[in-house]
Amino acid sequence: MRITLDRACAVRDHWSLTASGTFDEGVHLVSGHTGSGKSTLALMMAGLFSLSGGSIGKGEITSCMLSLQFPELQVTGRTLEEECASWGAPAEEILGATGLVGRKDSSPLSLSRGELKRLHLASVFSRDYDLLLLDEPFSSLDCGEKSKLCTAIEQRSGITVIFTHEQEILPRVFRIWEIADGKLTDCGRPPDAYERWHHVPPAVKRLAALGSLPGNISTRDIREAACRIPG
Amino acid sequence: MIAIDSLRFRNLVIDSLTIRPGITSIIGPNGSGKTTFLRICAGLELPHHGTVSIDDATPRTTEIGWVNEFPDRNILFARVNDEIASPLRFRHDTPCDAIDAEVRACAEAMHIAHLINREVRELSGGEKVLVSLAAALVHHPEVLLLDEYDSHLDALLAEKVDQVIRASGARYVIRCTQQMTTAAESDHLLFFDSGRVTHAGTPRDVFRFLEGTAFYPVLWECG
Repeated sequence: MRITLDRACAVRDHWSLTASGTFDEGVHLVSGHTGSGKSTLALMMAGLFSLSGGSIGKGEITSCMLSLQFPELQVTGRTLEEECASWGAPAEEILGATGLVGRKDSSPLSLSRGELKRLHLASVFSRDYDLLLLDEPFSSLDCGEKSKLCTAIEQRSGITVIFTHEQEILPRVFRIWEIADGKLTDCGRPPDAYERWHHVPPAVKRLAALGSLPGNISTRDIREAACRIPG
Repeated sequence: MIAIDSLRFRNLVIDSLTIRPGITSIIGPNGSGKTTFLRICAGLELPHHGTVSIDDATPRTTEIGWVNEFPDRNILFARVNDEIASPLRFRHDTPCDAIDAEVRACAEAMHIAHLINREVRELSGGEKVLVSLAAALVHHPEVLLLDEYDSHLDALLAEKVDQVIRASGARYVIRCTQQMTTAAESDHLLFFDSGRVTHAGTPRDVFRFLEGTAFYPVLWECG
């Protein structure tokens, strides 16, 4: 299965974005500055933004889910129990896994942003999707939860596309992409991608300068490379 | 000094804590009481028990700048210009041309001068945070309280914003963050766990206790 973008173009009042490239199975990271168009690209790939030109083909993809940057915009249930049910997720299991036991009758909008993000992501990950688009999934999660999310992402099959500016705690990825000046660029696979990638995480940069290039961008790749620093 | 004494509110239990002028970062797990603590410092909540004093005044009599962790909950007005101007307009003591000049200067400092005539609903999440920060800074608060404002900003922008915050003249900046590199660059650091401040001190002091956990800065593990 794969998703292919052929000069797919989105135009808003003040800017436009053009994207070409093929996203095969595996984990893809799309980075870019604030306001560069990451969320718009996620909407385009989910089929929720009308293209002004070009096309997006989704070969053999039968199920797709977009996790929005702001979980509060994706809430449909009045209570946590209803919210889990709306995702087709088992409420007891989800609330147990997210530390929200005993709050099944609370409003999702009464949760802190981190708690709501955890509930939202646990609901999303309770089902398998061929294509999973995650817009800023790490935002508001604490460091422990970010690490758990990385594991969940790495264990998935299908195509996972992460749109993020996170630079500290990341999963091992198959391919790295970047949006700049209204254009999507394929930086390639790590570690070769680092040369073309403008958003190389500081830890990767520092290790490269010390002569120990990490093979990928996950925390365990960083730690492994840190152990190999010459001298 | 910000002095907290015998504070009890919901799950928050802080017997004694002082916060010195400068940038204080708060880190800790989701649900550990960080936002609740900021809301009490802002005067948005009154503690069930105990006191918070900011240079011997109460939070509600102190000029506070506040940025909510939900970007959309910061915004009152449709246009960026009106949003940033609102704290000054609500005072009813500043001439319109002086307000316009303050708004322009603040937007330029925050690198959002190009957004000034845009509708807020058209903005990205990060841009909304920048607008909220500008609105929080435009009236030159003594205390700036920022709840995970940086979770919507890329690293370069977060660094630029950091410079603006440091130059703002706010005597106290207290910010919750989940970016440990940002936390490491603060004057003071507090670690919250289950409603209590379990570690307080310089970033180096606090992170010493967090070595081996997910909260230890990845960058510090790289030599």
